[in-house]
Amino acid sequence: MGNITTRKNGIHGILLQLGNRWAIIFLLLGAILFSIISPGFFSFNGIQVILINSPFILLLGLAETFVIITGGIDLSVGFIMGFASVVSAKLIATFVGLGMNDLLSIIIGIVITLGIGMIPGFVNGILVARLKVPPFIATFSMLGITHGISELIIEGSYIKNLPALAGEIGNGSFINIAPGKTVSFFIKPILQRGEQLIEILPTVFVIPFIFVIIFAFILRSTKFGQHTYAIGGNVDAAIRAGINVKTHITKIYMLSSLFATIAGILYALRYITGKADAGTAFLLDGIVAVVIGGASLYGGIGSVWKTVIGCLIILVLENGLRMLGFPTYYKYIVVGVVLIFAVLVDQFFPELVHKEG
Amino acid sequence: MRKSPLSIFARNWALFFVLVLILIFSFTGTNFFRLANFQNIFHLSTIYLLLSAAETFVIITGGIDLSVGFVMGLSSVLSATIMRELHAANFPPALSISIGSVAALIVCIIPGFINGVLTTKYRVPPFIATLGMGGIVNGITLVMCQGFPVSFLPPYLTEIGNGYLIYVLPGKAISFFNRPGGIAGEELKELIRIIPNSLMFNFVILFILWHLLKNTKFGQHTYAIGGSMDAAVRAGINKNRHLIIIYALSTFLAGLAGVFNVFQTGTGNYTLSTSMYELLAIAGVVIGGASLMGGKGRIGGSIIGVILISIIANGLHLSGVDPFFRFIAVGLILTVAVVIDQSFPDLL
Repeated sequence: MGNITTRKNGIHGILLQLGNRWAIIFLLLGAILFSIISPGFFSFNGIQVILINSPFILLLGLAETFVIITGGIDLSVGFIMGFASVVSAKLIATFVGLGMNDLLSIIIGIVITLGIGMIPGFVNGILVARLKVPPFIATFSMLGITHGISELIIEGSYIKNLPALAGEIGNGSFINIAPGKTVSFFIKPILQRGEQLIEILPTVFVIPFIFVIIFAFILRSTKFGQHTYAIGGNVDAAIRAGINVKTHITKIYMLSSLFATIAGILYALRYITGKADAGTAFLLDGIVAVVIGGASLYGGIGSVWKTVIGCLIILVLENGLRMLGFPTYYKYIVVGVVLIFAVLVDQFFPELVHKEG
Repeated sequence: MRKSPLSIFARNWALFFVLVLILIFSFTGTNFFRLANFQNIFHLSTIYLLLSAAETFVIITGGIDLSVGFVMGLSSVLSATIMRELHAANFPPALSISIGSVAALIVCIIPGFINGVLTTKYRVPPFIATLGMGGIVNGITLVMCQGFPVSFLPPYLTEIGNGYLIYVLPGKAISFFNRPGGIAGEELKELIRIIPNSLMFNFVILFILWHLLKNTKFGQHTYAIGGSMDAAVRAGINKNRHLIIIYALSTFLAGLAGVFNVFQTGTGNYTLSTSMYELLAIAGVVIGGASLMGGKGRIGGSIIGVILISIIANGLHLSGVDPFFRFIAVGLILTVAVVIDQSFPDLL
């Protein structure tokens, strides 16, 4: 990087470093504080709980990262997630009802849902890039449309009759160790009653995290990622540099929709049901995580790893407050304060604004 | 400047669309074309009318206020809590209701004031400032009511909120504000209710806001700031002060919506984090012809936008269509609104 900010000396330099990395420092301080006052927080189970709660906010945060870097916003991801949970659950239940093998119907259901789930993003992209509808309006319209369609599919209820295997996958862990006996991946080994089983890394965390790693690389080190920053930084310059902005923005919204779809599928697997409003609670958390991570809603700034830190801050606050016995509502207050604080820090250190990575 | 018929139509397409919908639903919907139903549509739109009016001012300046839905919840819970406590302390109902309402309205100016300061003095983008404020207000509301609606309020609240100006029992009696005494059973069905109190309330508030935006210096400055911030500053407008007032006005109107909510339901209701009041209010404003880029928008347009959404919901329901189609319909109309807006850039 070698930019100016890192070379400054003295108190101002230290302050700049602090301002630059306040999110990660805040995260560490929060984690340490909660570990001290609430003993169960920094334990194996405490961390597992955070990981189990993480996938939806991680995926929606990832979706918003790309969109926000281009200077847009995607309000539809929450209901696209619900839509995907409904569609995948409905498909899987239908296939099983037709007498298909459980595993096969889950796989086919997921594949079809992944395809269908990109349609809302494609429409969003066309509206934003070609018809010049502001992203806020285009994606809000899509929010209503996907909400309506999901409710029509579930007929005001929710999807039932998913195979038990779906729940085993969704609530399973990446590594299952039965001490001294066997190690298995994803599916729990068959055990006798009373035998100990150590489950490490929940599946619902591992899958999003793989996407996080891949797309962190794509955003940072590929032409696709560089074009994304270029469009967010200055659309005119991007067009003059020969980037096909319309196609690129369409791809970005499809990507966003795809991440929301994956979140919806994981929701269906984890809760063994499809619900239209599965993702509503995570939409704002996703946007907040991106902004806490230092992205600017004006575009051009942001990164996947910073979003991950933003997600972790929300998760740590949520879990820590819950373990201290505060009702969930306190989380809204704290997250709201942190959100505004995040932007204020950026304003007080204008030198940081043009720094990437 | 001569206006072509096409551009007049494009400018007022939402109004034409409302008329077309009324025509269609009159045929398809049972009991749609009734005075009672139209009064109902307005009565049930009150909250959205107030929130949309709030958003109209903010959106004209080029901002957005995502906190109004939660401020409404705060106002509802706070006013109800004060009313309940005063009522429990044996204050007369009229006094406890007034104190509760006024106190909540005053408190609701605070979040807007902070929003304004954050967006102007500290240059926090309105989206973020109001989103954060929404979360904070929502949390405070929930802590205050512990996640339950506030009940045990003084009497007469719903009689006022759901009352009508004129009651007519054909050929027998007529009365104002209160039902004529001593009627029951079959006679109650014949009672004609005219002009809901909420309609008069809406009319007064919206007329004041319309006048404020259209005919006063305050309104002109609002358009000026949204049209070109630099030009407005150079013209000597105190931009920061003006924007702070706009954001405070916005949450004040949200507070008014919350107090009305108490009068309508007889309980203090917090706002669910999934209810999206603010987004629907913004949808109404945009359908009414405002631009999120600022500089454009009208109170009259926003009213039509809100009524359009309400008529779709009401008409589809009375036509026996699955209510969930209305989400899809609102989404489609919103997109159409903006595409029309993009196709006629010279409209204002």
